[in-house]
Parts: sequence; structure tokens; C-alpha cells
Amino acid sequence: MIPLEWELVLSALLFSIGLYGVLARKNAIMVLMSLEVVINAAILNFVAFSSYSNDASGQVFALLGIAVAAADAAIGLAIFLSIYQTHGTVDMDRVRFLRW
Amino acid sequence: MSAASLLLLPGYTFVWVILIAPLIAFLLSALVGRRTVEGGAPIAIGGISISLLLSLYLFIQVMLGGGLGGNFNPVFLDGYVWLPGFPAGSGFNNIVIELYIDDLSALMLVLVSFLCFLIFVYSIGYMHHEEGKPRYYAEVSLFSAGMLGTVSASNFLQLLVFWEIMGLCSYLLIGFWYHKPEAAKAAKKAFMVTRVGDVLFLVGVLIIWNQFGTLNFYGDATHLGIASQVGKLSPELLNLIPLLLFGGAVGKSAQFPLHAWLPDAMEGPTTVSALIHAATMVKAGVYLTARAFIFLVPMPYQGLAVTPPWTAILVIAGIGGFTTLFAATMAVVNFDIKRVLAFSTISQLAYMFLGLGVGAFVMATELSSGTAYANLDSAGYSAAIYHLYNHAFFKALLFLTAGSVIHAVGTNDMRQMGGLRKHMPITSITMLFGCLALAGIVPFSGFFSKGEILSVAFEAGTINSVYMVFWLLGTVTAFLTAFYAFRLWLMTFHGEYRGQGHPHESPRSMTFPLIILGAFTLVSGLSAYAMGGFGNFIFVTGTHAEYALPLIGVPLSDYGLEAISLGAALAGLALAWLVYETKRIPAERFTRSPTGAFLHKMLTHRYWIDDVYDAFGARVYVGFAKAMDWFDRRVVDGIVNAVGRGGLAAAAGSDYFDRHVVDGAVNLVSKEAIRSGMRLRQRQTGQVQSYAWVVVFGIVVLVALIFGIGLYLRLWGG
Repeated sequence: MIPLEWELVLSALLFSIGLYGVLARKNAIMVLMSLEVVINAAILNFVAFSSYSNDASGQVFALLGIAVAAADAAIGLAIFLSIYQTHGTVDMDRVRFLRW
Repeated sequence: MSAASLLLLPGYTFVWVILIAPLIAFLLSALVGRRTVEGGAPIAIGGISISLLLSLYLFIQVMLGGGLGGNFNPVFLDGYVWLPGFPAGSGFNNIVIELYIDDLSALMLVLVSFLCFLIFVYSIGYMHHEEGKPRYYAEVSLFSAGMLGTVSASNFLQLLVFWEIMGLCSYLLIGFWYHKPEAAKAAKKAFMVTRVGDVLFLVGVLIIWNQFGTLNFYGDATHLGIASQVGKLSPELLNLIPLLLFGGAVGKSAQFPLHAWLPDAMEGPTTVSALIHAATMVKAGVYLTARAFIFLVPMPYQGLAVTPPWTAILVIAGIGGFTTLFAATMAVVNFDIKRVLAFSTISQLAYMFLGLGVGAFVMATELSSGTAYANLDSAGYSAAIYHLYNHAFFKALLFLTAGSVIHAVGTNDMRQMGGLRKHMPITSITMLFGCLALAGIVPFSGFFSKGEILSVAFEAGTINSVYMVFWLLGTVTAFLTAFYAFRLWLMTFHGEYRGQGHPHESPRSMTFPLIILGAFTLVSGLSAYAMGGFGNFIFVTGTHAEYALPLIGVPLSDYGLEAISLGAALAGLALAWLVYETKRIPAERFTRSPTGAFLHKMLTHRYWIDDVYDAFGARVYVGFAKAMDWFDRRVVDGIVNAVGRGGLAAAAGSDYFDRHVVDGAVNLVSKEAIRSGMRLRQRQTGQVQSYAWVVVFGIVVLVALIFGIGLYLRLWGG
């Protein structure tokens, strides 16, 4: 059986990779994908603790999280599509019209 | 059951109608008088006729029950509660409107309504050509209602109310020709001078209320009265209250020093003068003083005799005695036919006050020497009312004849009359009757009552020699009265006509009242004989000295007194004859010497009293007003302005504080809010990733804090 620590380390790595993507990538699609990675890191944590503590409710939360991530991706893509249609770009440095 | 008692119907409620009928006539004349013939005269005469008939009926009942046998008891006619709600046990009763019928008020009701009736009838002819007749008839109706109410009131407050109604009507009627400045001024003067007395009267009423908790003159089984409780007053108040009431009477009856309004009141129509002088208004003062006898001659209180108010009695007799001569002297030199009569009214009213004063003195003396209250000799009181009653007839007659003369010749000035005997025979004869009665020539009415008053004054003089002075004043006045009465008559009706135009006898509606009144100058004096003494008119049956008939069954000394007053009157008459008819003594002789000239000047200027009053008004009062004005402008306004300026300065300071400190603080806060907002909003870059950085940074800081605190606690904590 894989020890819990490994799973947590994996999850932390995934979270860090995703966070880096969110903060560093300039393409909105990439930022969105990185966000999915962050969410999946969190889901991985749920699953890891579920199997560790023999409690199924963690897996229920994992399924819920997957559904949220799917909806999140769908809405995000729709917003970015709409932004692309109106501004011709999805570059995060240029999508800056919600400002003072 | 006697025939007399058959006439006594149950209840006297009809007496209210005596008051209300002229009031209704007042309203009707004012509202619809214009649509009737003679502008409301039928309404006014109708109203007063009802009063007259009912008053006569009442009088007969009272006489049958009282003076002529039987035992009439004074009756209260309950009206309604005017001011209720004094808590029980506080000693103050309800103030009610109710009537009180005793012999005196029954007599006065007949007298007033009878004379008002005749004067109203006379007015048809006299006022025929005047404008504003509905106003005239409405006002005279209200006037008569006021007098009828005054004499039938059961308490002092109600008396005061009707008294003031008369005051108002006298103002309106004296100023009937208000477009004439003199009339307007005279009306104002009458109103204001009588007001001085009315204030005193009001103060008296308030003191009475304060002391007794009731205002009724007399009480009975169900009514609280003053008369029986007078003894509980302190001696000072016992003197003060009748003096205050007398103050009201002095104003209303034009006694010295408040006489100034009455000669000027001649500016009104002559009928109004007759109304004011004969039956109403000025007589109310005498009536009030007669009612004040409950104070002047106090009833025993709790079985003990009460010390009478000697000062008040002396003042009343003194004012009366002085004013008789004072007013008569002014009548002697006047050429205005109405003014002569006006001064004579003042003088004759003063006789009544003299009679009341000396009568009260005699009664009070008897009272303090132990005579029982019921057996007092009220001859003076009775003589004063007797004179009031006689004077009402002959003064009404004199004024109405004077009106008839003025109607004919169109002037008041006797120098423009003369020889009118041929043109106006009825007026001439009736006025002669009036003058004989005024002069006090037997058997005309004035003789009896004036003689009675003087004999009582003499009797008082034998007790206290101060009163002998008043008797002397009265006797000298009797001489002067006869002189000016015949001066008036001779100048008007004898000699050659000195005016222009064609005088003519007055219409029948005017001569008819003259003839009736002429008859009454004889009848009213002699009626005392028919009644077995005048006292029977105003007292219930009893064995008083005043029931004695004039000239019959009196001590020999009284004949002497009567002879003296008659002799004085005849001397006056003779002097008038010599001066104005035969001209054996030229009138100029009296004014030739410097003293005579000065006297004449003093009298024609009415002792300069009017001038003094005017000067008082012009100098003292206006000066006072000016001083007050100065005070008001400088001091009061100064204070007000200073306060205003102070307020302004305070406001400016407050404004500065408000603008600079309060607003400054508020503005500073808002400015800082704006400035920090400007700074903060620049952090809103719109770059989502920079927000994310902040979030991450925040999380890192939080985690670092948690771990840091945990580490700290593990290493150094407990």
C-alpha cells in the first residue's frame, strides 16, 4: 500500500505546478488548465485521506469536486471565448479592462 | 279668599318677558326695522308696551301683596347657572342669572318701562326726518332692556352686566350723529368717564365675591344673600365696599368729580337725553346706592349690632350735598337749553344721593343707639327714591318739551328763542309744569320729595353738625334751582321771539307724551297721599316713620323746614321773574363787579374742571405717554437691539465655528476618504494574476504565522 505521505507529496507537487501555471502563464487557456491542475491536486488529497481513514465521504467530495471543476472549466472557456470575440486576444496581460 | 289674592297668579315667570320683550324688539328693529313704517318705531314701541303692561301687572300684584296689606315676600326667579362648578364646601356658589322682585324693583320696572314707552312714542315725531331710524330704535330698545335688567337683577354681577349694556348704549346713542365730531367726542367722553366709575364698581363686586362667595343682595330659604352676613366684614372693608359701589354710581350718575361727561352728552338726540336723564342710566347709580344700603345700614350679625360704615355714609352724603350746589351754579349761566337741564339733572341726582346719605346716617345712628333693625326710620332712603320717582317724570317732561322747542326753532341756544308761548301753547304749559316741579313749588311733585330730603338732612344735622352743612347746601340749591328753571322757561317762552324762522307746535305724537307727563308732575307727588305715604311703594307693610304723609301729622318743625325750602324756591322764582321778565334787575349787574365777573367766568367754564381734565389728558397723560415712548424707544428698544446685536454676534461666531471647525472636520474626513480612495483604487489593476499573487502571498503569510506561532509556543510556551 502506498503510504499517505507520498500521496500528499504528489498532491502538493501538483498544486505547486498548477499554482505556478496560474501565476506565470500569459495565455488564459493555460491559466485555466493550470487551475484544473490545482483543483485535481485538492481532489487527490480528498481521495488520499479517504482511503487512509476508510471513510467514503472523501470520495463523495472528490466526485463533487470533479463536477465543480468541469463546470468551472466550461464557464471559464465560455468567458474566454466571449473575451476573445470582443477583444481579439486572451493574453492575461492585455485582458485588464476590469480596473480603476 | 280675598279679591287681592285672586290676582296673585302662581309664579312670576312672566317677569322675564319684561326684559326679553325689548331685547327682541332690539333684534327685530336692527334686522327688519327698515321695512316697517318709521324705521322700526312700531317694533320698539310694541316691545316696550309689553314690558309696560307686564310691569304694571307685576306692580299691582306686589302692591296688593305688599304695601297695601298682605305680606308680599321678595321673589327669586331662577334663570340658569352661568358659571357653575365651584366645588361644594369651598364657600363659593354658582354664579347664576336670576331675577329678584321686591317692591323697589317692581316700582323701578314700572317707572322705566312707562317713561321709555312715552319717549319712544315721542320719538316718532321727533326722529321723523332723521336718517338711521332702525339703528336708533334698536339702540333705545336695548337701552331700555339694559335698565330693566339692572333694576331686576338679583345679584351685583348681573346688575353690572346690564349696567354695562346701558353704558354701551349710551355711547352709541350719544354718538348717534357720529358724523359730527362733537357728538363722536361726547360719546367717547361719556364712555371713558363712566368707565372710571365702572372699574371701581367691578373691584367692589370682586371684593364682595371674595368675602361672601355670593353676589345676591338678599337671601331666602334657598338662596345665600349678602345682607344677613355683612357683619362678618372687617370695618375697613365695610367702608370700602359701599364706597367702591358708590364710585360706580358717581360715574354713572355723573356726580362730582365724574360729572364732566353728562353736559357733553347733550350732543345726542334730545329723546336720548330724556331717556338717559329721566328713567335710565343716571338713575341706575341711585338704584345701586340704594341697594348698597345693605352695607351702609348693616343687619345685626349673629344677634349683635354691627358698627355702620360712617366714613362711607359721610362721603356719599358729602358728594351729594356738594354736587347739588356745584351743578346748580353751572346751570345758572348756561344758554344751551339742554345743558341747563343736564346740569339740573346732576344737581337733582345729587339730591338723591344726599337723601340716601343722610338717610343712611339717621338709620345708622338709630341702629348704634340700639333701635331694632326692623324699626329704623328709613325716611331718607324713602325720600331719595321718592325724588327719583318724581324726578323721572318731570325731567322726562322737561327734556321732551325742550326737544319740542328745539324741533320748532332748530337751535339749542336760548338767546335765539323767546316768545314761543304764543306759537307752542301745549309745550309752553307742560314745560311750565315741569319747571314748577323742578323748582319745588307746591303742589308739584318736586316740592314733596325735595322737602323730605331736606328735612331728613336737617334731622341728620341736629345729630352731627357736619350734616347741617349739607342741609344748607341743599337749601341754597333749592333757591338756585327755582332761579335757573324759570330763567329757562322765561327766556324760552316769554318776551319777544329772537330767532329766525316760523316756530310751530309739534305733532301730536310729541305733544301726547308731554300732556301725560305734565299730568304726572302733579300725580306723582300726590300719589304718596293716595298710597298713604311713599314708603308703601318700596317697603312691605310696617309701622315706620316714613309711612307718614308729607305735610300731614309731622312735627311742627317740619313745617318750618318745608317753608324754608319753599321760600327759597319762591325767592329764586321771583329773582328770575325780576331779571328775565320785568328786567327790573339787569342781568349785567351780576357780572359788573370783578368778583361777579370772575364768578361768571368760572361758572361758564364749568369751574375749569373740564379744562383740568383736558389738560390732564393733554399734559400729564400725553407727557406720560411721551415719557413711556422715550423709554420704549431708547431703553426697551435699546435692550432689544442690544440683545439682537448680541444674538447676531453669537450667530456669526457660531457660523464661523460651523464653517471652519465643524465643516472643516467633515470636509477633512471626506477629503481624506477621497484621497485614500484614489490611492487604493490604483491597486485595482484589472490584472487577475496580480490578484492571485496577492492571494498567494496572503496565504503564505497566514501559513507562516500559524507555523511561526506554533513553533514559538512549542519552544518557549507552556
